[in-house]
Amino acid sequence: MKKVSISFTLNGDAVTAEVPVTWTLLRTLREFFELTGPKEGCGAGECGACTVIIDGEAVNSCLYPIPEVEGRTVTTIEGIADSDGTLHPLQNAFLENNGVQCGFCTSGMIMSAKSLLDHKPDPTEDEIRTSIAGNLCRCTGYVQIVEAIEMAAETVKQKG
Amino acid sequence: MIDFDYKKPGSVKEVLSLLKDYGPKATLIAGGTDVMVNMRNRQLSPEVLVSLRGLDDLRYIRKNSGYHIGGLTTHRMLEQSDMVRTELSALHDGASRVGSVQIRNVATIGGNICNAAPSADTAGPLLVLDAVVVLEGPDGRRRVPISEFFTGPSKTVRKQDEVLIEFDIPEEMEGFGSAYWKHSRRKAMDLPILGVAVAVRLADDETVSDVRIGLTVAAPTPIRAYKAEEFLRGKRLNDDVLEEAGKIASSESSPRDSMRGKEWYRRDIIQVFVPRMARLAAERLRNQ
Amino acid sequence: MSDHLYVGKSVPRTIETDKVTGRAIYIDDLKRPGMLYGKILYSDYVHARIKSIDTSKAEKLAGVRAVLTGYNIPDVRVGFLKDQSVLKKDVVRQFRDEVAAVAAVSPDIAEEAIGLIEVEYEELPAVFDPVEAMKEGAPLVHEVDARGRPAKSNILPLPWNFQAGDVEQGRKDSAYIVTDKVSTTWVNQCCMGTSGCIAEFDSNNNLTMYNQTNVIFGDKGRISEYFSQIGLKGKKVRVINPIVGGSFGTKLDTDIYEFICIQLALKTRRPVKILFDREEEFRALPPRQPAMFTIEQGCDSEGKLTFRKVEAILDNGAYTSWGATTPSVMMMPMSSLYRVPNVSFKATCVYTNNIYCQAMRGYGNPQANFAVETSMDTLSEKAGIDPAEFRLINRNQPGDLTPMRLKITSCGLKECIDSVKQELDWSEKKGKRNGRGVGMASLIHVAGGARVTLSDGHGIMIKVDEDGFVDVLESGTDQGQGSPTVISQIVAESLGVKPEDISLTFGDTGLCLWDAGTHASRHTFMAGNAAIVACEKAKKQILEMAVELMPRLIKGGFKKKKRKDPDFVEPDLDYSLISDPENLNIRDRMIFPKNAPDHPYFKMDVSQVLRRGLHVGTGQSRVVVAEAFYDPPTETLDREFKGNLSMTYAFGTSGVEVEVDEETGEVKILQLIAAHDVGKAMNPTLLLGQVYGAVYTGVGYGLTEEIKLEKGKVMNPNFLDYKLLTAMDVIPIEPVVIEPGDEAGPYGAKGVGEPGLVPTAPAIANAIYDAIGVRIRDLPITPERVLEAIKNRDHII
Repeated sequence: MKKVSISFTLNGDAVTAEVPVTWTLLRTLREFFELTGPKEGCGAGECGACTVIIDGEAVNSCLYPIPEVEGRTVTTIEGIADSDGTLHPLQNAFLENNGVQCGFCTSGMIMSAKSLLDHKPDPTEDEIRTSIAGNLCRCTGYVQIVEAIEMAAETVKQKG
Repeated sequence: MIDFDYKKPGSVKEVLSLLKDYGPKATLIAGGTDVMVNMRNRQLSPEVLVSLRGLDDLRYIRKNSGYHIGGLTTHRMLEQSDMVRTELSALHDGASRVGSVQIRNVATIGGNICNAAPSADTAGPLLVLDAVVVLEGPDGRRRVPISEFFTGPSKTVRKQDEVLIEFDIPEEMEGFGSAYWKHSRRKAMDLPILGVAVAVRLADDETVSDVRIGLTVAAPTPIRAYKAEEFLRGKRLNDDVLEEAGKIASSESSPRDSMRGKEWYRRDIIQVFVPRMARLAAERLRNQ
Repeated sequence: MSDHLYVGKSVPRTIETDKVTGRAIYIDDLKRPGMLYGKILYSDYVHARIKSIDTSKAEKLAGVRAVLTGYNIPDVRVGFLKDQSVLKKDVVRQFRDEVAAVAAVSPDIAEEAIGLIEVEYEELPAVFDPVEAMKEGAPLVHEVDARGRPAKSNILPLPWNFQAGDVEQGRKDSAYIVTDKVSTTWVNQCCMGTSGCIAEFDSNNNLTMYNQTNVIFGDKGRISEYFSQIGLKGKKVRVINPIVGGSFGTKLDTDIYEFICIQLALKTRRPVKILFDREEEFRALPPRQPAMFTIEQGCDSEGKLTFRKVEAILDNGAYTSWGATTPSVMMMPMSSLYRVPNVSFKATCVYTNNIYCQAMRGYGNPQANFAVETSMDTLSEKAGIDPAEFRLINRNQPGDLTPMRLKITSCGLKECIDSVKQELDWSEKKGKRNGRGVGMASLIHVAGGARVTLSDGHGIMIKVDEDGFVDVLESGTDQGQGSPTVISQIVAESLGVKPEDISLTFGDTGLCLWDAGTHASRHTFMAGNAAIVACEKAKKQILEMAVELMPRLIKGGFKKKKRKDPDFVEPDLDYSLISDPENLNIRDRMIFPKNAPDHPYFKMDVSQVLRRGLHVGTGQSRVVVAEAFYDPPTETLDREFKGNLSMTYAFGTSGVEVEVDEETGEVKILQLIAAHDVGKAMNPTLLLGQVYGAVYTGVGYGLTEEIKLEKGKVMNPNFLDYKLLTAMDVIPIEPVVIEPGDEAGPYGAKGVGEPGLVPTAPAIANAIYDAIGVRIRDLPITPERVLEAIKNRDHII
């Protein structure tokens, strides 16, 4: 099996992964870096549980060939709280407003929402729903997730 | 066991030379949202993946004697472009309904078209916008009207050693209003049961001076409804005329029964959405 | 009741913070040292004889540690009716039949090995329609029955037959009678986390099973039974839940892949993990049981129901899991939703070569409810009574004893129907036939446990350590419903600590007391009641300690002060205030006299007492630990399927306004009122989450979701073609929470996990009828079905 050595920025750290060329970013994150927050819910870009942010944009890490990660900046759910463990407003809001139930979709859901808020701190409900349309959830009916993202946006706005 | 080489050339020239070297062993990968899934499903097992993602200079939307859209332009770029939304509305309708934000962030319009699924969401819009596909191969560039590009499900006139460079949309499209309807069960993450695109230009007296109708999932390839177009030319878009145009378009189509939709249903709703999209396209034109 | 500190409050889910930081460990994430990866080979044919299996190439592949087939593991039968083996031998009966399995050092090698196994089949005739399968001469799915005798028919030996009153008399008493045929289809539970487990044997052949079951002791029992069949009798089984990525019924039975995993672990002497991919989840996980109903109902001239007669046919698939037992739950709405004196319900389960079925949220209730509630509308129309009024006339009421002998205690059904009428502006919108319409449907469901086995108990253990921190050992499964938060609220309230003082351990048969399972919307009710009892016991221990130790601690404090400050005068205190545990209370960690809650000296942090109690002197040291096993005084169903199997019942009404595009058949939900009698909302925010999620799943059941089976094969095993609703498919849900309080419930609460789903689909169907005058009686209500019905209405086809 052919291996590649890929260097990139992962949650703020410069890292290098030596993994088979056939691996996706998701597999690399989960198996090489042991960051198991991103989940494989379908492996085909149809559920969004594997969502991470690459260079500011939400993508399905299950469809992202590892060679394409070279030189990029990747953020996973493990990398959005402050270094002292203070949660990101989205993480707080999801806990506060029951945006999380079984939690399997949560990592991806929060990353999609974060990418939205990073671009657009004051989104409409429609923009929120669009941003998480690729993140399937069976537990919540999305209602409290959308509300949680609205709450987080408010917090981010107040913090400036 | 699946194994492959992964090549990431930085220029079209390098891509062409890799395609020449590896021949049919090589598969092009752009956004990868189809290729990666097909490899996972074992429907595709290339020996060499040639990535186009290094060709950043093929990501653009330009207006310069017509419109030019680079092959590597993502659906997200099209979705977020004000120019596409207002001047090439049908394309905006199509691009913004593909998959999810995550998919649109990486999936490219070139990939969507070269993959040639009968359901491709940008195909109908490009058909009615009269786009020309610019391909580059070992012998240089050639131009293929999009209406001649598709030859069957997953089949196009692109040769194995060619790369899709851009889509050219003629300047005259500025005078058109356009719209695309993706008829699907869900509002996101779905494939169309049927796609209907219409571009229309109206004379001062509100008669149709020119019109194009594109249908997807209505035949083995995306098609134009030429007879319905011909019928509409010179007429006002009133209910009776549109109803008749819908019927004609429906009769020009050859949809199939599939798990995703029945033939009769597809034929029926062609008659519904040809009028609806024609009205919307005309309304957009008036509001321009 | 308003003086509660935590119960009834929207305490955030901070106890589950790991779920928002990516640190929660699901089965996907769990690794054991030396672990191998298992993979299953499924049948290529729907019904075939296995002529040969050649595993030699797979065995030779580097990294493969075991290759198993039905021919090299013990040939024993498993499942509810013992009608299948773990790996199939000789004959396959459905596409998902497990034919072989491998364990390898990596998932890739396991997958490659599976591809190297060669199986030769000889195709056999198959049957896919349960009605066809019942006919004489139909291909037999099983050649022999569970006892090994030649099978005569495909009909299962499960005669579901419920009779109450006199249906013939009811028919005579009727002024109006309607008969309807309705059907529901297969839907997948769609847990976002796919199925998986890890089996690990220790050196003494005792098994630790990491899996997602929501019935840990039932699972343990089934595995132990399997052990006794395969020569491991007496070996111990410990079942441990990781965090579970959704359950919705899928984890009720012990699945075949789990037995396969055990065999692979046994063979390799290594831990083995099997984890489904999404396609397997769609193809090889038993979905919701489909059903076909013929329902006949009558009412008298005043609109009072006179009888209900229902015959159901259930496509059982090739083997039997809990799907075949859904009629036991169907009986509840059939017999007890609305007052109906005479009831007949018969269900026939039939083997076919389709995939077999199991539980899903609501069990058999959504299927049955669709039949009853669409028929209620037909009957009300025939009787010329407004459907809402018709339901009110026949509504269940507190004190009712239903034909199934369910004892209705608290019942907010009237309030639910009234709320729906009001919120929907029912009288204004009803009956317009202008493309917009309103409809409603109600439900009854168990909400105070469900005595489906001899014990419906739940055990809980509570230990309070010397810092005042509390460990709760809880045998339920955290499958996302929010129980860690709700149980911590109940414990905090009942014991007098803060929710953040509490740690919970869920789902571990090695640590926790017995529990009947986290199903049937029973967990808050059962665990809550158990927790209250355990907390009372622990609290008593603490207060007894406090009576003894508080005076000493206070006086000791005075002595210290005096030593530092010679002028300090010890106050003259009335120690009788704290001389009797009965007179003391604990709230928010503070112990205080009930009669003087703000006493300046007699208010003390619980940890002071506990620490002192642990270090009190020779032979006197104490710890605080308490347990409770709550088994409610309910009845198992008797031979006639009658008995009060739950302490209380949930009621609710869904009201829907739809707009139908008559050109495309598309249905848009404009408003959806979900009114539910929940007893008491323990945590209003979490409760709404249960309602929203259940309603959404109900909308999917009604409009978009179906497993498409073509000759037994799942044609849409992915999220592209299985239409789970997305966040863009906005359903404007407005919950109405009715809180009459329930005497038997913990702090008045009833179960709420399933109800939201149950009446949603029929409410939609009824609203569509109101909008356009066509009745869709088959789920899901696809645009194609609606358009076809419109054409029939207009005689276009």
